[in-house]
Order: sequence, then C-alpha cells, then structure tokens
Amino acid sequence: MTKKNVISENGIRRNPPQKKGLLQRYAAAPHIVWSVLFIIAPLIFVAYYSFTDADGVFTLANISAFFTEKYLIIFFRSVKLALIATAICLLLGYPIAYFISRSKPKTQKVLILLLMLPMWMNFLIRTYAIMVLVQDTGIINSFLGKFGIGPIHILGTEGAVIIGMVYDYLPFMILPIYSVMSKLDNRLIEAASDLGCNGFGVLRKVIFPLSLSGVISGVTMVLVPSISTFYISQKLGGVDTLLIGDVIEQQYTASNYNMTASLSLILMLILLVGLAIVNHYSDGDGGGMMP
Amino acid sequence: MKKLSSVYIALILVFLFAPIAVLIFFSFNAGSSTSTFSGFSLRWYLELFRNGEILDALKNSLILAVASSAIATLLGTAAAFGIHHMKNKHLKNGVMTATNIPMMNPEIITGISLMFLFVFVGGLLGLQTKLNFWTMLIAHITFNLPYVILNVLPKFKQMDKSLPEAALDLGCTPMQSFFKVQLPAILPGVLTGMIMAFTMSLDDFVISYFTSGVDFQTLPVLIYSMTKKSVKPTIYALSSIIFVVILALLLLSNREKSSDERLEAKRLKAEKKRREAIIKAQKSGKAPKQPKREAVYEAKAPRRSRSYLNKIVAVCCAFAVIVSLCVMLGVYSKNTITLNVYNWGEYISDGSEGSLDVNKAFEAYCANELGMKVKVNYVTYTSNEDLYAKLSTDAVSYDVIIPSDYMIARLASEGLLAEIDFDNIPNYEECISEDFRGLYYDPEDKYSVPYTYGMIGIIYNANVVSEEDIGDWDLMWNEKYKGDIVQFNNARDAFGTAFYKLGLDVNSTDVADWERGLAELKTQKPYLDKYVMDEIFNMMESGEAAVGAYYAGDYLTMLDNQAENVDLQLYYPDNTNLFIDAMCIPASTQNKSLAEEYINFMLSEEVAIANAEYICYASPHSVVYNSETYKEDMGEEAIEILYPKNFNFHEAYNSNCYKDLDADTKKLLNELWENLKISN
Repeated sequence: MTKKNVISENGIRRNPPQKKGLLQRYAAAPHIVWSVLFIIAPLIFVAYYSFTDADGVFTLANISAFFTEKYLIIFFRSVKLALIATAICLLLGYPIAYFISRSKPKTQKVLILLLMLPMWMNFLIRTYAIMVLVQDTGIINSFLGKFGIGPIHILGTEGAVIIGMVYDYLPFMILPIYSVMSKLDNRLIEAASDLGCNGFGVLRKVIFPLSLSGVISGVTMVLVPSISTFYISQKLGGVDTLLIGDVIEQQYTASNYNMTASLSLILMLILLVGLAIVNHYSDGDGGGMMP
Repeated sequence: MKKLSSVYIALILVFLFAPIAVLIFFSFNAGSSTSTFSGFSLRWYLELFRNGEILDALKNSLILAVASSAIATLLGTAAAFGIHHMKNKHLKNGVMTATNIPMMNPEIITGISLMFLFVFVGGLLGLQTKLNFWTMLIAHITFNLPYVILNVLPKFKQMDKSLPEAALDLGCTPMQSFFKVQLPAILPGVLTGMIMAFTMSLDDFVISYFTSGVDFQTLPVLIYSMTKKSVKPTIYALSSIIFVVILALLLLSNREKSSDERLEAKRLKAEKKRREAIIKAQKSGKAPKQPKREAVYEAKAPRRSRSYLNKIVAVCCAFAVIVSLCVMLGVYSKNTITLNVYNWGEYISDGSEGSLDVNKAFEAYCANELGMKVKVNYVTYTSNEDLYAKLSTDAVSYDVIIPSDYMIARLASEGLLAEIDFDNIPNYEECISEDFRGLYYDPEDKYSVPYTYGMIGIIYNANVVSEEDIGDWDLMWNEKYKGDIVQFNNARDAFGTAFYKLGLDVNSTDVADWERGLAELKTQKPYLDKYVMDEIFNMMESGEAAVGAYYAGDYLTMLDNQAENVDLQLYYPDNTNLFIDAMCIPASTQNKSLAEEYINFMLSEEVAIANAEYICYASPHSVVYNSETYKEDMGEEAIEILYPKNFNFHEAYNSNCYKDLDADTKKLLNELWENLKISN
C-alpha cells in the first residue's frame, strides 16, 4: 500500500494510513508494559535475593551452596527422572498423536476432547488417585494378584514418581505434536511412498522431520513441569525421591528466601539455556499448542 | 494397522482415565476413606452442598478463572495484533521472548518471583495486606497471557494479508476492518486461547500457592492445606460432578455442531433444488421469480450465521467480564465486616454429617445478637511454618490464627501477636482449667486461648506386627518390618521421634545431640517405606504400611476406615510429644474486639463440643471433657485414647513439648533434614 493518501476513482477518500499505524503500533503496548512489570521485574527480584543474605548484604554464599554435593545429587536426580518421564511421554505420545491425526476429522475431535478432559480434574486430586491405584493393596496390584503376580511395590519408588509425571503431563506432549501433524500435507506422504520409501522410511524421512517443531514444544512442556514438581514427589515418592522442587518449597516454608531465590535462579538459568540451545538447532518457531 | 492403532489409543485412554474412575468410585464410599470401600452411599454428595468452605473455594476458583482468562484474552489478542504488525525485528523478538518466559519457566519460579514482587511493592506502598485477590488475579493473567498470544498469533500469520487492506480500500475504518474482517478470521484462535487460559487458571496450584493471600482461597490451595488430616471424599464428589458436567458440555457442543452441520446440508440441498427449478424455468422460457434476491440471499446466508456466532461470543465475553467485575466489587463490599480466620485444614466443625457449621453460626450470632453484618473468611494452612512464612513477610493480615505452642512462642517473641483482652472473653474463666494455663509458650496467659491438644502415638497393624515387638519407639526402628514403616515428613516431628528414642531433650541446642538424632534417623531410613503426612491415612487403612507414628486423634479416623484384613492399634511410648494448638490474635489485626468475640464464641459449650468431635483431638475445655453427650458421641475407646488415665498433663507437657528453637538450631535442623533426605 502506498504511504500517501489516495483518492480512489470513485472519489471516496481512503483513511489516512498513520491512523491505522497508530492502532497497530500501540495494540501491543499494554502487553509490553505488563511483561515488564510482572514478568521481567519479578525475575530481577529473584536475582536480587539470590545475591544477598537475610540482612540485604551482597554475598555469593547462596549461589555457591548449590554447587555442593547435596544439591547436585538432588538436581541430577530431578533431571534424570524428568528426562525419563519426558522420554516415556514422547514414546507413548508420538504414536497416538500420529494415529489421531490420521483418523476421520470427527473422530479426531472427539479423541482430542477426551485427551483434554483429565486436565479439567484437579491436578492434586488426580495425583492422589494414582496413589490409591498403585499401592500394594491398590487396584492394579489386586488385579495382578488374581493372576498370581505381585504385589509389585510401586508407591514410594522413583517409578511411582515417573508414573505420576507421565500421567499428569502426557496430554501436554500429545497436543502440540498432534497440532503439527494434523496440518501435515498428505500428498507428501503419498509422494514419498510413490518414490519408493517404505513405511519406516516415510516416518523417518518425511513425517518426523516435519513434526519436529511439535515434538520440541511437547518436550518443553513436559520437561519443565517435571523437573520442578514438588507435589508429585511428595505424594508418590518415597525416602529417596527428594527433587529440586521439593527443596525450593522447603526453603520457602523455612522462610529462607535467599536460598529459595538462588535455587530458583539457577534452575531457571539452566533450563532457559538448555531450551534456547534446543530451539536454536531446531530453527522452528515451535508448534502451536493446540489444533 | 487400523486395529492396532485403535487398541493403542484405547489403552492410553484407559491409562488417562483410570485414576479418574478411582476417584469417582470412592466418591460413593460410605466410609470416609479414599482407599478402602465400605459400601455405596451418597453422603459425600449431600455433604458437599452443606460444606461452605469447599463451595466458597470453588466459587473463588471460578471467579478467578473467568476474570483472569477474560482479561488475558483481551490483552493477549490486542498484543498478538500489535506483535504481528511490529516492524522492528529486535523489539518483536524481545517481546516474544518475554511472552514465552512464563511458559518456559517452571511454575514454582513464576510463583516465587511474583511473590517477591508483591511483598516488596506492597511494603513500599505500606499496604496491610500484600497478598490478596488482586495479586492472585495479576499472577493468573500473567501466566495466561502466553496461552492466548501463542494461539492467536498463528491465526494472524495464516490470514490473507490483502483482506484488511481490501476492507480499508472499501471504506472501512481501521476499527471496522479489525472487528469485521480480522476478528472473525482469528476468532478460533482467540476462543482456544481463552479456553486454555480458563483451564490452566482453574487447575493452577503452584502459582496460586505462592501468591494467595488471606481473603481469597482457591480450591487447589484448599486441597493442599488438607495435608495434616486426610483428603475427604467430599473433594472426590466435587471432582466427579465437575467431570460429569464438563463431559456433558463437551458432548452437547459436539452434538449441537453436528446438528448445525445437518441443517446447513439441508439448506444447501434446498437451495440446489430451487436453483435447478430456476434453471428449468429459464430454459422453458419463463422469467424466473426475482432471481436476484435469491442470489443475494445465497451470498449473505453464511455471513449471517457467522456474525450470529460473533454476537454470541461477544455477549458471552461481556457477560463474563461484567459478572466477574460485580463479584470483585462484591468481595470488597463495605457494609459487612470481614473477619479473617486462619486455621489448619479440617480443623473446625464445618457442618458435615449434620454437625454445627461454626462459622455460619458465628455470622448468625453476630447478625442476631450484635446487630452486625459479619462475614467469616476462613482460610487454611498446611503447617506452622507455612503460617509463619505468610505472617512474617507481613504479606497478609489475619484476625484469628490457631498455631501450635512453639510457634506461638516464636510469634510472641517477635512481637507478632496482640495481647488479648480477657474481659471480652468471659467464657475463658470457667472453661480453661489451671492445667492449661501458664504454660511455657505463654507464661502470663496474655496471648493465647487453648483450642485443642494431643499426643503422638505409634499406630500399628496387629495382623502384621507381633505382640512382643511392641514397646516404646523401638518398633519404628525394627528391621523385621522393613519397608512397612512410615515416618513423619516434617523435620521437627521426625527428629522428635529419634530424640525420644535416644532419651535426648527435644529442645536441645547442642549440635552433637542433633547429629546423634540424624544418625539415628539414618539407621531408620533403610527400613522406611516413605516419609508421610496425610498419606499415612491411606497407607495405614489399606495395609500398605504397618507401623507409623502420628497424632493420636487421627488414629480414630483410621480405625473407622480400616480394610477388612487390617487391625489397627495404638500405644503411647513412654516419652512422646504433647502439643497444644491455641487461638491467638495477630498484632496486625483490623478487628480486635470482633476477633475476641469469635474466640469467646469458640469457647461456648455447643461450639466447643462440635469442634472437639469434628477434629477428634483432645479438648482443653473443661465443659467439653466433662460433658456426657461428648463422651457418648465419641465412644469409650476414643475417650480412653484421647484422655489417658493417671496422666498429669501439666507434668508430661512440660517435659516433652516442643519449644521454639533459636535461629541457629532451626537452621541446623533444616540442613540436617535435607541431609537425611538425600543420604543413602
């Protein structure tokens, strides 16, 4: 569009472009102000508390405390469990996203609604219900018992925590992958098979690369809450499943705000750097959250 | 392949819905357990509708979700519009990065960082209450915004660029071009964004936990505060109802859509017929009847239905905003006085099972006797430390709190408690006997009125544990029951068990004592199944665990719910903790005389009995423990457990209670507790 006002043939004067520019220029302004006030500023406070002690004097003690054996063990345990849970979510979620995206549009809609339905139930209560499900006398073990198996001791182990994470966050893996796959051009797949690709080849060379952006947002959306959870490990975990989220929460209830802040800061930086690297190499702008 | 995929999808759905099936199943439990089923009943559904606390929390959650998702949708859609048209690449990238932060950042960090901000800014402004409804609303809008923006932005990208330009060329103002052309194109994204924001807000626990204040408690925060007592099936009943309602709504919207589609198909068919008729008529040489109007109708029909949809959505949004604004104003209506009461979860008679709803009764009492319109705002916490964290940052202002003894000592020494004017509490003189006065935490009886007390006992399953192993604390360290023992999941109580076992002073300031305690707990760790709080109810009732220490009153609850093959018993070790929870008034109270009125009300006979029967802990109220009705209601066995014979409370309490530890010891305890948790 030209910048000058133009009188069109029938004599109607066009609206002056700078007025349109005004609306477009300032539409994001409230959001920018909001982001600065409530996203950026709070993080500055986290940084401030990380580098000061209870009296407000500058110190590095809170930061260096993280790099002691105690916290490193907990941190790596959190990373390990979160990675396992994310991998399981991906293995379970990827095929289901694929299957759903290949079914009839109407079935697709119903299945996606069904996948989202558990998210409407309270997260704490769902986790609580898993506890009832997996305990030694729970439903799963009574069922297995009928076949003479078990009881398998699950509650209180790392396995139970992983089950909890997979259960709570699986929909977050499926939805973004599905969202990308449902937009996939069917003709590409047909072309690939016409050109001699076998089923696995199509998956490896066509479908997977095209759905990568969905996979990355799925992985992010499962990994981040898993790594920082404290409720799941509290309810389903046992004597050896303290996670970094638990420690942060404990420091908060012990009113040790400086340590709370420093642990938060380090966890955040590690996650943000890690995710930035992944995003950089995937050069996608992330799949949409939703169909 | 097709079959395989259906089976696979079915299996995943079973996995996702199994826990939900479990909770629906147990919502019909006749007993109060969530792990052993003792018969079908609808009692929890009836109770749900009598339970003001849960319904209030549900209402709060809905208000917050509607308000935050509506505001986030407005802000976010405008932002997406602006971002889409942004020319400056750096600015655009910067804004997108900031937008993504709440999604990339763990919730716990978002929550904590906002809490820091609110407390700091509130301090600068000198606010009495630094965390309240508004801070929670801001927090929820903040984490909802990215969901809206990330759903709307792609729709702008997909939209044909020439569309808005065409609209402008055809004489639309920019506003008209936005509302008539662009908005319909992005509407699906806006709606999904809004629905996601609503869902996230409704289900959010972590961020709410850190930013919630005194005046506004949402359902997830309420549920989390039930950590000392067990989660009741009432919550399951509520979840089941929510589940059924959502399911029905989804099915209905699906059916409506498909019936719309059917109508559309019918219309098209009719149109086609008409057109054929016209063509036929034309062919036969007769002039068609007003063919032009038909054509116009054809072109307009789809647009009309779309603008109809727009109107519905617009009306819904407007309605949501208006309702939420009204309610927000309602929260702050000035005619009623709000009394903020902060208590442990499930620590007051709440009207369930035909009992007295104490807070409602107090409101009625104020209205009838005092001619005052009072609203009791009852909020619950998880632990003394949780209470302290909220009080010490000055984040909130309460009128009545009910902390435990050692916390009262700490609060009083830090000047956080107000002196109670006992002239306003006439019931105190006759109800609270000498036994419960002048205790260490309040030697001059200035700050507190005892509410309930209890002891820690060892609970065991007699079908698993053999008689000869019983006795003192050794049972908790018995290798024979490896994997069947549960220990407290809080530092003070866990170290307490070790100290009593070793015969140490639980209030020792000697580092060596604490190291010994840690060593003792480390030897116990291999035998443990789990560190527990409220999970102990489930685990003992179902037989998952066989030995565990807990508050004696809660044993009575477990006893009611034990599974068939479980036989729970309790005994008191020679030395064990006694605790008192007492009512206090924080120094920051806004309504001191009303708070005293409330405390006095809590001491009146009927109310005190109702509370004692509900909580199941021992009552320091002389009228209660001498009351025949109370003894009858509780049963002989319960009375024997709660009030052991030949027992001098004053003496036992003074030698075994927890006192407030000094700052260094507290820090040490914290560190040792962490060490224990990560040791192998």
